[in-house]
Amino acid sequence: MVYSAKFKDHLAHPRNAGELSDANAVADETNPICGDRLRISLIVKDDRIEAVRYLAYGCPPTLVCGSVLTELISGKRVDEVKRLTRADLLGEIGGLPSRKHHAAALAIETLNSALQNL
Amino acid sequence: MPARRVYLDNSATTPVDPRVAAAMARAVVENFGNASSVHGFGQQARAAVDRARREVAALVGAKQNEIVFTSGGTEANNLAIRGLCEAAATHGRHIITSSIEHPSVAGVCASLEKRGWEITRLPVYKNGIVRVEDVAAAVRPETVMITIMSANNEIGTIQPIAEIGALVHERREAGQKFLWFHTDAVQAVGRLRLNVDELGCDLLTMSAHKLYAPKGIGALYVRRGVRLHGQNVGGHQERERRAGTENVPGIVAFGEAAKLAREEFNQRSAHDQALRDRFEKTIVERISDIVMNGDRERRLGHLSNISFRFIEGEGLLINLDLEGVAVSTGSACSSGTLEPSPVIRALGVDEELARGSIRFSFGKDNAEDEIEYVVEVLVRAVERLRALSPLTLV
Repeated sequence: MVYSAKFKDHLAHPRNAGELSDANAVADETNPICGDRLRISLIVKDDRIEAVRYLAYGCPPTLVCGSVLTELISGKRVDEVKRLTRADLLGEIGGLPSRKHHAAALAIETLNSALQNL
Repeated sequence: MPARRVYLDNSATTPVDPRVAAAMARAVVENFGNASSVHGFGQQARAAVDRARREVAALVGAKQNEIVFTSGGTEANNLAIRGLCEAAATHGRHIITSSIEHPSVAGVCASLEKRGWEITRLPVYKNGIVRVEDVAAAVRPETVMITIMSANNEIGTIQPIAEIGALVHERREAGQKFLWFHTDAVQAVGRLRLNVDELGCDLLTMSAHKLYAPKGIGALYVRRGVRLHGQNVGGHQERERRAGTENVPGIVAFGEAAKLAREEFNQRSAHDQALRDRFEKTIVERISDIVMNGDRERRLGHLSNISFRFIEGEGLLINLDLEGVAVSTGSACSSGTLEPSPVIRALGVDEELARGSIRFSFGKDNAEDEIEYVVEVLVRAVERLRALSPLTLV
């Protein structure tokens, strides 16, 4: 499978990269098998994602899932964000080869961890 | 499509030389006869095959009748190891190899292991080189084969083949007559001056597409007197060691590529090494936290393997590809499991460095200004990925 134009764009130009020093929700998750790692920091205010940043280490799908996820949740209500699934993220990216679906799973898992830390 | 494209993956395969392509195209049209046919068309094809065989033999200092054409390096390695071990099984069932062999050697050894053969896989230490004393210590009365590559495909380290060859001869003279030595020289042929007599090997694997010829053709050098069981049976071709109608255009292309590799050896070597050295010097000046993998002296002149801390090789590879630069990484992430390069892991480096390794391999068609472009693209990509990496957090 050839990666989508959106995938390539996010890989070359990651959105919302970095850390929020005044975040009120942070999560850092590692895929225990492959070692890919994603860190998300959020500022949640009045039940909305006011700001989001991410850091990622791993294969390109992990880097891209982090970037696309930040765009997807930015400004959204927390209850909406909590309903996001791996399939939603994969759809937003334009699909990934099945052997790379773990990257989307890591992104959703890290997001949920961060929201639980609120 | 990126505006500019630079190919720095010449260890994976090389662009076909137009002179080789022209020779091949002529052979497709003019030498269509079956080289086993007795009529004039067949004999014309046979003559073309014989000319090519002489050129391939000359490239490694072999005799013409010691060359067996195959479909490539993988088949040649299968024929060498499986073919010899099947013929020698009554004398012993032990093989010595290294821990950094190409999968086409490691895979054959693993399959023989499942059938009851004992395999000793020698370490390579931090410099990526096998020690001759380890080989000597591993030889047992039931050892029938030593198979160690001439130069590694990922890090380019040159193995002590002539010294191992001398050891094998010593052991034979001391009475161990059923011990043979194979070397996979796919990466070394055309990059190092090789002579099978000086190396003391009995079997040597070559592949044409690493020499600016097309894929689908390779060869195995088989020293006169070495018995092999053919793995392709059902025909008399290649002295019954490899049945199947000869791939005449492929063989002709290999012959032309071998001739050019011999004639242009000095200029190609000097050119590739000058580019590689310039590239490394600039990278060291411009990018921090990098590790050059493998011995710095005993390595092929056209190849550089570098680990970039805090980032993963595949991410860097695709970032470079988006800018038109082709390189390779030995690590692969698939279905949520990571397989860091076994070669880099064998050097004893940590997993992060093994994941961040990239191979840059230069060739005769690369130009100096391409190196400047690659450096600029690489510096930007490394900065971008490091800015994203949580591993840089204290």
